[in-house]
Amino acid sequence: MRTRLIRALLLLGGGLSVVLGVSLGAAAPPRVQFTDTHLKNGLRVIIAEDHSAPVFSIAITYNVGSRNERLGRTGFAHLFEHMMFKGSPNVGSGEHFLLIYTNGGDMNGSTSKDRTNYYERLPMNQLDLALFLESDRMRALDINKANLDNQIGTVSEERKQGVDNQPYGKTSETIDNLAYTNFAYRHSVIGSLDDLRAANVDDVAAFFKMYYAPNNAVLAIAGDVKNEELLAKVRQYFESIPRQPAPPEVEMTEPPQTEERRQTIDDPLARLARLDIVYHVPQSLTPDADALSVAGTILSSGRSSRLYENIVRQKQLSSSVFASAGESRGPGLFRIGGLVMPNKSVADLEQAVYEEVERLKTGPIEAWEIEKARNAARRGFLSSLTSSLSRAVMLSQLAVFYNDPGLINTRYERLSSITAADVQRVAQQYLTPQNRTVVVTNPKPAAPAPQPGSQTGGL
Amino acid sequence: MNAKRMLTVAGLLVLLCAMPLAQVAMQSPAGQAPPTKGVVLKGKAPVSNDVLKVKLPRPQEADLPNGIHLMILEDHRLPQIAMQMLIPGAGGYYDPADASGLAGFTASMMLEGTATRTSQQIAQEQETMASSVGVSAGGAGESATLVVSSLADNFDKTLDLAADILLNPSFPEAELARYKTRQKAQLVQMRMMPQFLAMERYSRVIYGDHPNSRVMPTAESIDKTTHDALAAFHRAHYVPDQAIVAIVGDITLADARKIIEIRFGAWKKADVTVPPVQDPAPIGPGKVYLVDRANSVQTSLIVGTPAINRTSPDYDVVSLLNAIIGGGPTGRLFLNLREEKGWTYGAYSSVSAPRFRGDWSAQTEIKGDVTEQAVGEILNEVNRTRTEPIPDKEFLDKKRSLVANFALSLETPAAILNNYITSRRYNLPASYWDMYPERMMSVTKEQVQAAAVKYLDPARLRIVAVGDARKIGDGLKKFGMVEVYDTDGKLKTF
Repeated sequence: MRTRLIRALLLLGGGLSVVLGVSLGAAAPPRVQFTDTHLKNGLRVIIAEDHSAPVFSIAITYNVGSRNERLGRTGFAHLFEHMMFKGSPNVGSGEHFLLIYTNGGDMNGSTSKDRTNYYERLPMNQLDLALFLESDRMRALDINKANLDNQIGTVSEERKQGVDNQPYGKTSETIDNLAYTNFAYRHSVIGSLDDLRAANVDDVAAFFKMYYAPNNAVLAIAGDVKNEELLAKVRQYFESIPRQPAPPEVEMTEPPQTEERRQTIDDPLARLARLDIVYHVPQSLTPDADALSVAGTILSSGRSSRLYENIVRQKQLSSSVFASAGESRGPGLFRIGGLVMPNKSVADLEQAVYEEVERLKTGPIEAWEIEKARNAARRGFLSSLTSSLSRAVMLSQLAVFYNDPGLINTRYERLSSITAADVQRVAQQYLTPQNRTVVVTNPKPAAPAPQPGSQTGGL
Repeated sequence: MNAKRMLTVAGLLVLLCAMPLAQVAMQSPAGQAPPTKGVVLKGKAPVSNDVLKVKLPRPQEADLPNGIHLMILEDHRLPQIAMQMLIPGAGGYYDPADASGLAGFTASMMLEGTATRTSQQIAQEQETMASSVGVSAGGAGESATLVVSSLADNFDKTLDLAADILLNPSFPEAELARYKTRQKAQLVQMRMMPQFLAMERYSRVIYGDHPNSRVMPTAESIDKTTHDALAAFHRAHYVPDQAIVAIVGDITLADARKIIEIRFGAWKKADVTVPPVQDPAPIGPGKVYLVDRANSVQTSLIVGTPAINRTSPDYDVVSLLNAIIGGGPTGRLFLNLREEKGWTYGAYSSVSAPRFRGDWSAQTEIKGDVTEQAVGEILNEVNRTRTEPIPDKEFLDKKRSLVANFALSLETPAAILNNYITSRRYNLPASYWDMYPERMMSVTKEQVQAAAVKYLDPARLRIVAVGDARKIGDGLKKFGMVEVYDTDGKLKTF
């Protein structure tokens, strides 16, 4: 297909001084402008036009993640994501990769507990290519046993690379399995090897029909596009894909935890002990989750943080400690953890962490710590607007998670209103002994035992 | 895991004539076999054969009296500014012979105290502003790098801090002791990672005693480092004479120049030159290196060879050759080992071309029980580029992917500025990046095949595997004598 003439981008004064799409004021924060349209088949389409570079990004978020899986079929959402690159009626297996890269773009797919996302980033003259590829595989997939077996092999190796062949690879699976009661978040995204091998072509086809329907997805396009022209093209490519019955709602309720849970595991690939402590916390974008996010910044963001200053630098119980709650549309976990320094005890590290947690509840929180969290939120917001890809991914994901893509402009302001009293209140409410799960990972000497005197590297 | 080994061709800006591409595309025979069985082409997707013609923005430049060369790309879309300062002569290449890792040690310790600020004050000041200031000089790079970024309205205050860190570090004894403890714990952590063990052994094999053979300092070198050694290295090597300051963001050249002159004006020219770098010695006769990591359920493989430096006339040709073998998910290694065989999550290759002679290597994490077959396939893919002509469509697609990708970098001015830093460091012609697309599109299949014959000589290929020796050791013997190491880097008897 021929597209229009080659376009020269004029850059005045040698600098990128074009300001479009992201509107700036002297004091007012920048805002992403976008349109939000529902097609007849239920596909939600968000367009954020911005002509500062001759590039666009397309992100499509399907409302399906590992939380939608059932017992015996763990890892299925992610395995399916791989199948989306193995061909559709008009695109051959592997042709998707080739078309995107040959035409100067990049692409990927990713699966989390909460969603599955696909994206392409391309020069602005390849808009039809991106729409064609995404609509062709939403309309139908070329599902066959050879492709499925091939990707079961690939995903098995992905699991080994990320989990089974890495130190502490099984630690996070152990934590989630112990902390969560509800199966939706209890199992890992990558799933078990046994479940992966049990996947069959019928499962894949049924999964596709239920979850990869236009009414279960949000398409977002950001960058050098023309809104109305693009919307017409989107209708042409996508609107005839039939709507499907809505997938069943996932029951996400997590019963309150009433006493500490604790487990110790051995890891033959580890050389140092590791401590992990998690607390149940509310879903993201609730007032309490916002305050807990600031608590995480105070505890562990950078070398000025309390855990670094007191546990890493002063007491030298660990070489690095983290504390944060990631994005979670369902019941979340506030995670604290770190590796134990050689010749130090995991019990001492655990005690030191609890001392900092208690100090957060009752001791003073300095003004600079709150200012740090506010500035970090502001910087994080600006960084997230830098690329068309980041804008497209956020718009589609916020629409799927919270039914509100406008949160791209406002979610960081929420963090700016958090006070020291808010942080203390949520620390007192959630960071309690009965609400925590503790997992200790101990190195297990490999057999045969290492030869005496063969150690270097500061053991 | 090792950025310095990544080829930095990607992310440039293109100026390309569309017509020759379309013509070549039409000449390529229809229905030609795809590069491997891993891909099926239906050819139905709508593709624009035009490649965007875009003008490369050029940095504004200025020279300051103390030798600093200032380069700036204005980008006023968002109120943020990023700066990097390269200080040639202060990188790990220039570690004293008896103190490997001293350059990196010095750089890290600069954040641990100045004449007027404690370690805590440095951390608190920058993080309260949500600014970041860092200094690094690891590996065998020629330069130390100071990296600064901040919200636009905090840039001057952040530079005030950065200048203090750069010019007045005090290397306090108490922080030195703490840093040593943390670093030695870091060494233990790294030895758990199979990719680290593979890179450590591979670097030894390819670079011998050359500075680029060192991927981490040793516990011994950490222990013996003193305050005086750090202060002396800093005094001798942190000079402004050849420094490059590159700024991208919401600031003008005039403002940037004023701020840099105020903050770094006291930094006195030392009138020293940076000693030239040396190529590594020729590699030894060994062939296969196995790091025995018990309980591994996968094998980490690196297959590589000494290759070229950045100013080699073959640089573009070798870049293209590399892209054909292992550049991303359209490279032959990925299509073969993942898309056809399902043996791995990914398989790629890369060129490292610094000022001294670098290397080419293929890397993958492969299913343990097919280690022998996987090495065979990698060697076979290398050999194919030496003995078989590259199909027309594959060759054109690859060239096109390298040049068409440049349009994306217009979104990231920092990537464009990095190209101009490379130009300055390697004294490349002024038109180097403008001409890149034409140069790349004019490379011929014969040149690529000749480069494969010249540089990917089987006699100089080395194989490094990290895995469970009991399971994979015997299979590797097929490729030559196997030297076995433990995970502490010590030679074992096999």
